[in-house]
Amino acid sequence: MMQRLFFFALSLSLLTAPAAALTVSQASNDDCLTCHSDSSLKSGAGKPLFVDQDKFKASVHGQAEIACVDCHSDLKKVKDFPHAEKLQPVNCAACHEKDAAQVKASIHGQPQEGRSPATATCRDCHGTHEIRSKDDPESLIFPINLPATCESCHLERVTTKRGRGFIEMYNQSAHYRALEKAGLTLSANCANCHGGHSIRSVDDPRSLVSRKNIIRTCGLCHVGIQKGYLEGVHGKDYVKGSRDVPVCTDCHSEHNIQSPEDLSSPVYATKVAGVCSRCHDDERLARQYGFLTSRLKTFSSSYHGTASKFGETRVANCASCHGFHDIRVSTDPKSLINPDNLAKTCGKCHAGAGKNFAKGKIHVVSEKAENKWAYFAKIFYIVVIAVLISVFLIFIAADLYRRLRIRWKR
Amino acid sequence: METLNSSDLIRDDEIFLRMNLAERIQHILLIVTFTTLIVTGLPLIFYEMKIFKSLMSFQRAFYIRGILHRIAAVVLIINIVWHFLYTILTKRGRNNFKEMIPKFKDVRDAWDLFWHNVGLTRLLHKKGILKKFFEKHPYWLFEKAPEFGRYNFIEKFEYLAVAWGSFVMIISGFFMWNVELSLRLFPLWVHDIFVIVHGYEAMLAFLAVIIWHMYNVHLNPEVFPMSKIWLNGKITGHELKTLHPLEYKKILEERQRILESESL
Repeated sequence: MMQRLFFFALSLSLLTAPAAALTVSQASNDDCLTCHSDSSLKSGAGKPLFVDQDKFKASVHGQAEIACVDCHSDLKKVKDFPHAEKLQPVNCAACHEKDAAQVKASIHGQPQEGRSPATATCRDCHGTHEIRSKDDPESLIFPINLPATCESCHLERVTTKRGRGFIEMYNQSAHYRALEKAGLTLSANCANCHGGHSIRSVDDPRSLVSRKNIIRTCGLCHVGIQKGYLEGVHGKDYVKGSRDVPVCTDCHSEHNIQSPEDLSSPVYATKVAGVCSRCHDDERLARQYGFLTSRLKTFSSSYHGTASKFGETRVANCASCHGFHDIRVSTDPKSLINPDNLAKTCGKCHAGAGKNFAKGKIHVVSEKAENKWAYFAKIFYIVVIAVLISVFLIFIAADLYRRLRIRWKR
Repeated sequence: METLNSSDLIRDDEIFLRMNLAERIQHILLIVTFTTLIVTGLPLIFYEMKIFKSLMSFQRAFYIRGILHRIAAVVLIINIVWHFLYTILTKRGRNNFKEMIPKFKDVRDAWDLFWHNVGLTRLLHKKGILKKFFEKHPYWLFEKAPEFGRYNFIEKFEYLAVAWGSFVMIISGFFMWNVELSLRLFPLWVHDIFVIVHGYEAMLAFLAVIIWHMYNVHLNPEVFPMSKIWLNGKITGHELKTLHPLEYKKILEERQRILESESL
């Protein structure tokens, strides 16, 4: 009771006094609330017109003592209440000029092609009377709450080019789990990758998630990985503007990013080979960049590859030997597969690996050219098997022939 | 020749022990380990085949496969050591081994049996072709099937194939099991040869058993559906006479000699 009296006194003295001093005729918040505090108040069309004054007072605008008519500015001049049912939409740009301009230039500000040429307005993301500061855990755009806010449109109502379900995939990601389960606000939410007011289509080079910017965007958090990537063979060509080298999302997927230890991650131990070979078994890319193909085939036929194919994670995959973000060509002295480093690289699994690990080839495409003794052994066995099996079959045929002849004679 | 007709010394239904218990257990162990090794090893060669993918879809399947393969390998090695000691230390073992040694006769037996089975020269002779040649050299008619001793050329070949195959598989398999040791001793390209040899020798052994051994002890009309010697070890006097006539003669001569020395 005391509290209410206090607030009443406060609102009287603080809100009405300066307002009254400026324009005597302007309606005070209390004037508005005379009607709008009625929770059953509805428009002719049945739209609720109730304003929760506690929520408003707790909001960032309430805290700053901004009056109803400051936002609903067409009521400033109205003297006869109740006012007309149809009001002008609130123009946030009156105060938030820069932000509004950013939104206007963003994908949310431009009518989109398709069934619903809708644009997102301030209220769609920020709410209305109850708007909080972005750092307030209650805010609709507080990291933990932002996914739900974006998804209020993007789950069902608004589909992007990538189709329905694409955005929802974020909810299965490691980023979302950290946010939702652990409340780790540093984890990437929608706005961290896509930007806030300046959100743009992925095809727009200015977009934070465009090919041009994605490395920097992911690197905002994954600083060390960005550094490694840019030093590696992929990063070096990326900087030169190559459109063929993979960026973060090509290997890790987009919304559904998982830890590599997660079975559903495309870079899970047993799946890496499939991801790398998308490009590394591509003849056109191989010709253009001068790398060798048949990497997946030669890996699969090795013990490492076969075991990996059968779901064994404790064998080497591409990344175990080549590294991941800072992959280098074998001639680079820092490369994990530089002959001088092979003993160390192989030694990660094969304790005590020595120089013999480098005396031979791993991805053997043709034994004939690369290991002639192995080729000889192979040919030897093929000939022996072919000859022996033929002899067996001829012998069996002759044996059966005589037995059948004896039977016929009887 | 008259001795062969006297069936008093060896009755047709007399039971001889072709495989004793130790030999039968060794053979069964070989079947079990060989089958296990093939089944757990084939997925590594035919990794593209869907059947292995679906058979090994459960958790740690590949790891368990490897463990089973190694267990079977160890049991096989123990079996071989046992067989080795048995062969050296027992009289029966030594005698078996002596009988198992391949001779030139075995090559000739194979040749003779094949042409006897085909019967091409007999057909030519019947048609009157090369009449003079065949009259001069009746051997080329292959009228009679070759006579075998305790082990015929087929059995000798199989035994030697198992011995050779085991040797290759154990050596190459040992180094595959101990990659680190292998690569301490050999360069990678030599280790690669172990891997290749292990796979191809396995294929050879698998095909040889499936085709050759399965025909000779199962599908062969003489024993179909299966020779039971590997289970009860028994062979009758009659079977001995038809399948291993030289051994039969040897036993007969032995008994005759005893009889004669007794009558003296």
